[in-house]
Amino acid sequence: MLRVVFQLVFLVLVVGVVLYLYSNVLRNLDRLGIGTSFGFLDESAGFSIANSDFDPSANLFAAILVGVQNTAIVSFAGIALATVIGVIVGVARLSTNWLVRRTAAGYVETLRNVPVLIIILFWYLAVILQLPPIQRAVDWGWLVLSNRGLVVVWLERTGDLAVFLAVLGAGAVLAAAVSVWRTRRFDATGQPHRRLLWAAGVLVAAVVLGFFAGGRPFGLSLPERGELGTEHGFLLSPEYGAILIGLTLYTSSHIAEIVRGSILAVPRGQTEAANALGLSPFARLRYVVLPQATRIMIPPLANQYLNLVKNSSLGVAIAYPEVTRVIRIAIGQQAPAPQSVLVLMLVYLCFSLGISLVTNLVNRRLALRER
Amino acid sequence: MRLLHLKVTLPLSILGLLLAGCIGGSEGNEGQGGQAGGQQGNTLQRVQDRGTLNCGINDAVPGFGVVTPQGEYEGFDIDYCRAVAAAVLGDPNAVEFKPVTTEQRFTALQSGEIDVLIRNTTWTAERDGAEGATFLHTTFYDGQGMMVPADSDYRRLEDMDGTTICVLSGTTTELNLATAFRARNLEHEPLSFEDNETLQQAFQQGRCDGWTSDKSQLAGVRSSWPDNQGGPDALRILDEEFSKEPLGPVVRDGDSPWAQAIDWTVIATIQAEEFGITSENVEQMKGDQNEEIRRLLGEENFDSGLGLPDDFAVQVIQAVGNYGEIYDRNVGADSPLGLERGLNDLYTNGGLHYAPPYR
Repeated sequence: MLRVVFQLVFLVLVVGVVLYLYSNVLRNLDRLGIGTSFGFLDESAGFSIANSDFDPSANLFAAILVGVQNTAIVSFAGIALATVIGVIVGVARLSTNWLVRRTAAGYVETLRNVPVLIIILFWYLAVILQLPPIQRAVDWGWLVLSNRGLVVVWLERTGDLAVFLAVLGAGAVLAAAVSVWRTRRFDATGQPHRRLLWAAGVLVAAVVLGFFAGGRPFGLSLPERGELGTEHGFLLSPEYGAILIGLTLYTSSHIAEIVRGSILAVPRGQTEAANALGLSPFARLRYVVLPQATRIMIPPLANQYLNLVKNSSLGVAIAYPEVTRVIRIAIGQQAPAPQSVLVLMLVYLCFSLGISLVTNLVNRRLALRER
Repeated sequence: MRLLHLKVTLPLSILGLLLAGCIGGSEGNEGQGGQAGGQQGNTLQRVQDRGTLNCGINDAVPGFGVVTPQGEYEGFDIDYCRAVAAAVLGDPNAVEFKPVTTEQRFTALQSGEIDVLIRNTTWTAERDGAEGATFLHTTFYDGQGMMVPADSDYRRLEDMDGTTICVLSGTTTELNLATAFRARNLEHEPLSFEDNETLQQAFQQGRCDGWTSDKSQLAGVRSSWPDNQGGPDALRILDEEFSKEPLGPVVRDGDSPWAQAIDWTVIATIQAEEFGITSENVEQMKGDQNEEIRRLLGEENFDSGLGLPDDFAVQVIQAVGNYGEIYDRNVGADSPLGLERGLNDLYTNGGLHYAPPYR
């Protein structure tokens, strides 16, 4: 009973302090003649955004969404790449091969101990900008590389996608069915199931079939180099490249350490038992060590993912139009700084809470269930 | 579910506390600012009581505000800080220079951290209206321009369809750029950088085709272009100006005596140039037969009611010279920037500088 009372008193105190501070801010801003409304989000943005077809007459909210989208693109690509590289390097650090082990250690130690901003600036200024200018670009027809970005051949839509998507959908259902069938067969007979291989085969067949049945709804889009840039194809801008590489290298070095620590935290008896069963080193890693290590590494990994998203705000240094960049442009233009920064905080909060939610769910799924 | 609930609410409540902390911090500042806003219209008095002027400046724009290797501030805006100190306090060195960033500047002004903002800030309606700031007599008529490599084919903005343009972020530059290109039905890719150094690297390497900024700033960059990159001659600034950028001092709203004191300091430098009063001849001019000159220099029995000392103009001119001297020394003919007077000439020479009569 006393605890409940104490909790209530604490709650009232916190709410009271927050309300007091909030009203204080409102009063002071009002006294100084600074508006506090969020109406500015509906005013037209007035600026364009690189590598997007954002219309300057659209409102600021739409501009911020483009920024959020860019943040999301670089964050998710970074998280995926950093995880893959981090796991490989982390495992390599425990390799019995001296050279592999030392190389991995060198990778981790050099990257982990340098500020991520320096890594990003290094890649942007010292590597990517030093590529040949567009007039002397490396041009292989399907790939154009210059300091205006890497452009590769891509797909472009040339017709109606309806039939293709229908065939693809049917293919996906079929692939799932095949996978289930292979699993059952494995359970019944013990033959290797290879369900992934089977499912992938069905999907590829569906793509090919759908492509022709749908009247070739898309074709290749080859990059065409001009004097000022490259048309068509798929563009990876230098700014995107630099921030993606920077974030990936930096975060993967941290992830490698987490992976190494998690593997070492798996009781030694597990490895010995796997050896005793005669499992190959790969099978031992794949079926015994990593599944148990994964359980340990999820919470610290989530932390690294959050860091990566927040570090993506360093895109401001190299003109990558992520959400911080867009909001800073807006502030320089006409948007009131306090509200704009509040919006920015809210965006990162949403990203962070989203990632926390996903990793918590994964964590709960993987957690040992005690019966 | 409970666990998840806790995991979501805990960070939320921590964030709430942190937020409260931030706001609490700024509230602390309001304490000082409270004096500024609470007793309105007394900045002049407070500056005179304090004995120093807190002047918000930019310390990284060649010609307007830079730190010399000796650690001194110098530049066009810096000279106007000194002019105000000379007028109000009788001592051009009684200035506390406070470098402020683009984002900070209005907040610094409103909170009372600085008394006046003289930092290449463009006078616009929204800033005048919504930032709680008052813009004073324009000291420099600037305009946004475009700088391109001298060996490029770009002669006019019309030639630049589809180009990539480097922009230094933080001002109305992106807005003007988009407006200028859209008005001409041209496409462009803006790359907006946070600092000049990275932008300069990108421009040197040909990442972008043009560099847009206020012409005064472009001239500053061009004048100090590294020799191994071809020096200033490797660059060309297009003639077009695609924005109006009147720059001048900014003070807090609702403080007329202070605003007037600064306005008339600026006006005095312009009037002095019109009268031909320079830092060299100001002493002789005190005895000039022209009554208007003697009145400006405080030799007539005249009280303007502005709250400035009688000899404020003498103090200002002795300290920094007349408008022409300030201009030539920092950004004009005698400086590396070598800007023409253009719009910044006296109205008698076809420029825009026109001083209301001092009587």
